[in-house]
Amino acid sequence: MNRAKRFPYLFAAPAILLFLAFTVYPIIASFVLSFQERVGGEYVFAGLKNYTRLWNDDIFWTAMQNTFIIFVVQVPVMIILAMVLANVLNNQLLKLKGFFRVSFFLPAVTSLVAYSILFSIMLQEEGIINTALSYIGITAIPWLSDPFWAKASIIIAMTWRWTGYNMVIFLAALQNIPEDLYEAASLDGANKFKQFFYITVPQLKPVILFAGILSTIGTLQLFDEPFNLTGGGPADSTMTLGLYIYQSGFEYFDFGYASAIAYAVVVMVGILSIIQFKIAGDD
Amino acid sequence: MKKVTGLVSISMMLVLSLFLAACGNGGSEDEGSGDSNKVTAWAWNINVPVLEKAAEKFKEENPDFELEVVEMGTDDVYSKLTTGLQAGGKGLPDIVLVEDDRVQGYMSAFPDAFVNVSDKGFDEMKDSFPSYKTELLSKDGAMYGFPFDGGPTGVFYRTDIFEEAGVNAEDIKTWDDYIEAGKTIKEKTDKAMIGLDLNGDDGLYRMMLNQQGTFYFDDEKNVALTSEESKKAMEVQQTLNEEGLVKETVGWDAWISAMTSGDVATAPSGAWLYGSITQQGKDTSGKWGLIELPAFEEGGNRASNLGGSNYMIPSASNNADLAYDFMEFFSTNKDVQLSAMEGGLFPSLNTIYDNEAFTKEVEFFNNQPIWSLLADEMDSIPSVNYTGDYAVAKDEAVKAQSEIANGKAIEEALKASEDRLKNRIQ
Repeated sequence: MNRAKRFPYLFAAPAILLFLAFTVYPIIASFVLSFQERVGGEYVFAGLKNYTRLWNDDIFWTAMQNTFIIFVVQVPVMIILAMVLANVLNNQLLKLKGFFRVSFFLPAVTSLVAYSILFSIMLQEEGIINTALSYIGITAIPWLSDPFWAKASIIIAMTWRWTGYNMVIFLAALQNIPEDLYEAASLDGANKFKQFFYITVPQLKPVILFAGILSTIGTLQLFDEPFNLTGGGPADSTMTLGLYIYQSGFEYFDFGYASAIAYAVVVMVGILSIIQFKIAGDD
Repeated sequence: MKKVTGLVSISMMLVLSLFLAACGNGGSEDEGSGDSNKVTAWAWNINVPVLEKAAEKFKEENPDFELEVVEMGTDDVYSKLTTGLQAGGKGLPDIVLVEDDRVQGYMSAFPDAFVNVSDKGFDEMKDSFPSYKTELLSKDGAMYGFPFDGGPTGVFYRTDIFEEAGVNAEDIKTWDDYIEAGKTIKEKTDKAMIGLDLNGDDGLYRMMLNQQGTFYFDDEKNVALTSEESKKAMEVQQTLNEEGLVKETVGWDAWISAMTSGDVATAPSGAWLYGSITQQGKDTSGKWGLIELPAFEEGGNRASNLGGSNYMIPSASNNADLAYDFMEFFSTNKDVQLSAMEGGLFPSLNTIYDNEAFTKEVEFFNNQPIWSLLADEMDSIPSVNYTGDYAVAKDEAVKAQSEIANGKAIEEALKASEDRLKNRIQ
């Protein structure tokens, strides 16, 4: 190969090497690890033992159930909220757009640990949120000590953090929708709501898909919020797959099993992504 | 030609430097050092000054000795220790601080990962420590660590709240007495008796199990969650909860601030709570007292333990001999162990208990000589069979506690947890 053709490869080389070392190697190594178990300090081949154990593990299914409940509630709520907000902020007549955009986006740059800890303080029985609710006559809610409310706390925290992030993505996409579509529609007598549903949403479909898949991956790996906010919640009610992977490895020293759970999550993310592509692609 | 090779070498350098930066950072600061006079230790906050003072003293006889203490939070020590052991012993220090309840877990998950200190001669010192400490560090008759501080338990109580309610703490001899006192206090002062994290931590339950001579596992390593002792412990908690004597405190900070701000009248815990109370409740000086844990029956055992830590030497250390010499000195030197008390740590070295530091009256505690109360307990503390499955057992115990707090019947919840636990550890 002559020198000119080699050039691009040389430029890409550092990135490729890093990718191989820090992404490809761990992926392969953990895959191998998922077929091993620790016996007296050594890792020995254990075939599908970890995976069958997974299948029979109540906690795994509870974690999966919790993760899905959170996923099914949080992702649509957040995406709809982000779309609506983006639409509102895109409005020509709104003043102080910059201020609003920054304020909504700000939660996305906070540290996951810091904000989880702050939320856990605010959601205490006599925390700020319950105090505020008492002013409008609502009795104190056991945010962190009740199985149902613990899940709600996580969903609220996640929505607070990620809505702005998705909103910015939608905002960017909205800029690309040609104005004449809206003009034509209003000439035909369509009001704002109709315009939103029949023009904005369809035009945003690829972006909705993108945000949807990113949120799916993020929610299925959910770790920081359950770890810092509820610790798995009252009696595993907020145990998520991400948290279970961490616990299996770092608290129970069962790294082989943790790897198996991780790969189960990979399979789930893959399936969900394919489903989302199909739904978006068919139309 | 020159330009291209220049580019190649630059890009290779970039990649290499990134590798070095990533690996070097971890390696240089905490690998057991090759320099044969330097020893690295991992410990958290209040333990650091104790180590440093000990190093200075040790230097008097060993002028070349150097100690590097890497201070990090408790959880971080465990994460890094686990990761290092999992990686086959990479990036580990020469000395690491491990709490009582974690020792057995590490020893069973990573056999041969810690230096056998009995082989190095530590057995001679065994009598200087209570048996419950030496036993938890032992495997097959040999010890694998150095006992440091213990957590002999007591009920830390607010003398001002007790006075207002007209309750005399010395009259509390059994858990039933404790509950009655709690009701009186609630009636007269509207304060809760105790702060508990019912969904997150089972400290009180563990103290009560230990007090009765058992734990999650019995002496034969069978799961003991449905034992009579376990049920009794849960019953006490359930009664406290049903009578409205419990303030739900989620997390460490909420627990401590409930005590220091006077929202709860008592805090049964280990001796180390002294450090937290005195640091975070400075303005409550003189308003505290200490009694032993109430017994389950008249005349029953009132000695128990919660917490406590030990030092261990990873086998991967390059400087194990020097680390051993230092740790042997550290663990048995009276001055070093006495200095630990300044941070609120309670030494388990029993040769110092007749020292003035233990017999003196403690101003913060209304001039009560609390240290001798705690020291007298040490020999009566039953040993605990933590086993290597402690972490999983604790997870199930907390689940049972949480379900009981949310209304499930005690027997049912404990049985369910026991069954799940048996499944998880096979």
